[in-house]
Amino acid sequence: MPILEIKNLMKDFGKTKVLKDVSFSMEKGEVVSVIGSSGSGKTTLLRCINFLEKADKGQIILGGETIFDGATKQKMTAAQLRKNQLKFGFVFQSFNLFPQYTALENVILAPKLLAKERPDFSGSKDRIYAEIVENAKKLMNSAGLSDKYDNYPCELSGGQQQRVAICRALALNPEIMLFDEPTSALDPEITNEVLKVIKSLADRDMTMIIVTHEMAFARNVSDRVVFMDNGVIAEEGSPEDIFERPQSQRLREFLSNVRM
Amino acid sequence: MNEVTKSLIQGFGQNCFIFAMTLLMAIPLGLVITFGSMSKFKPLKWLTKTFVWIIRGTPLMLQIMVVLYAPGLLFDMPMQSRMTAVLIAFVINYAAYFSEIYRGGIESIPRGQYEAGQVLGMTKPQVFFKVVLFQVIKRITPPMSNEVITLVKDTSLARIVGVAEILMCAERFTKKGLIAPLFSTSIYFLAFNGILTLLFGFIEKKLNYYKS
Repeated sequence: MPILEIKNLMKDFGKTKVLKDVSFSMEKGEVVSVIGSSGSGKTTLLRCINFLEKADKGQIILGGETIFDGATKQKMTAAQLRKNQLKFGFVFQSFNLFPQYTALENVILAPKLLAKERPDFSGSKDRIYAEIVENAKKLMNSAGLSDKYDNYPCELSGGQQQRVAICRALALNPEIMLFDEPTSALDPEITNEVLKVIKSLADRDMTMIIVTHEMAFARNVSDRVVFMDNGVIAEEGSPEDIFERPQSQRLREFLSNVRM
Repeated sequence: MNEVTKSLIQGFGQNCFIFAMTLLMAIPLGLVITFGSMSKFKPLKWLTKTFVWIIRGTPLMLQIMVVLYAPGLLFDMPMQSRMTAVLIAFVINYAAYFSEIYRGGIESIPRGQYEAGQVLGMTKPQVFFKVVLFQVIKRITPPMSNEVITLVKDTSLARIVGVAEILMCAERFTKKGLIAPLFSTSIYFLAFNGILTLLFGFIEKKLNYYKS
């Protein structure tokens, strides 16, 4: 059974049709990269999957459970929306760390707030908080941030900030990680340190969708590559298929443009 | 202590009282007005905006006089206390200005901050209180310090309805041919605003531990 299934997703912004009937599915542990030129709908697709945007039509099915159905009139409650969003980890192009908190505080803030809803919270608050901190440090250590716990985001490089943001998303144990052009705001030299962290997640069988402009990375890390063009999935397949045997004229054009 | 100093201190007590009470009430009331002017419910939004336009668009002196005289002349329920009328006018006036400062602060927080809170499973109140509020406070501190300093000086407008604040006290001596008390009042204002300037400088420095 696929862990995530998208069926006939559509999204308009006013008169602009951004997503026109997008369908795809992915298995647990699979890494899917989404490539395509700007304005092709990649980011909107990702934002619709975790409800930062509300799709107009179509279905989103997560682990067999329909979490979005454009056909039902009933609105999702705030609690349902939260529950669904928590199944995904989201990494933004612009990091969006909370500037008033240190790197470690950024990572532990949401887990701590969430822990308050646990039934055993009042009895074992200290133990729960200690576990959260320990887990956060473990995540940060594996992202090469062991000496940055107490630094504020403004004291970190872009690459370090994005690694903190990845840890922050991972700290909530999401089922699927969504990356929205995670390296587009970074200098080319420090892009690699972020890509290495994402690669290490792939090696540990994290299910991920990565919207990216890094073709070499997409090819290296992905199990499958999706090429979006003008609001539809124009072509999808293994990295070898997409990069070596592109079928459509549009993909060939796109690849020759980005390789220049 | 001579008679002049005693009178001026007494008068400045009134200024300080108006200042403190206005801040105490206008700071929270301003937030309520902000929520009104940022409301998605259009009638409430436009009603609030019109209210803010009227309050900011007319002199505070006029507002003080209206609050004092209107209830008696229009509804036959005269204001019992001049000070109450002054406080009502000041609180409403300053709340309207504060609300615009708050709104500017809230709207200047990038959308990404809200979205980041949302994707981390925070509720709307959690996003506001744990993520946004502190950043808003940092951003509005400089414009708020401006308003607060203006408020110190505006308190002397209370004399227009006969509240014996410091300028009115000093003027009594002018009538007797003494000019010095009038000059002395400036010392009180300068000292008070000096302390406020230092205080706000200290707060800004404290908040400056991060850059956004």
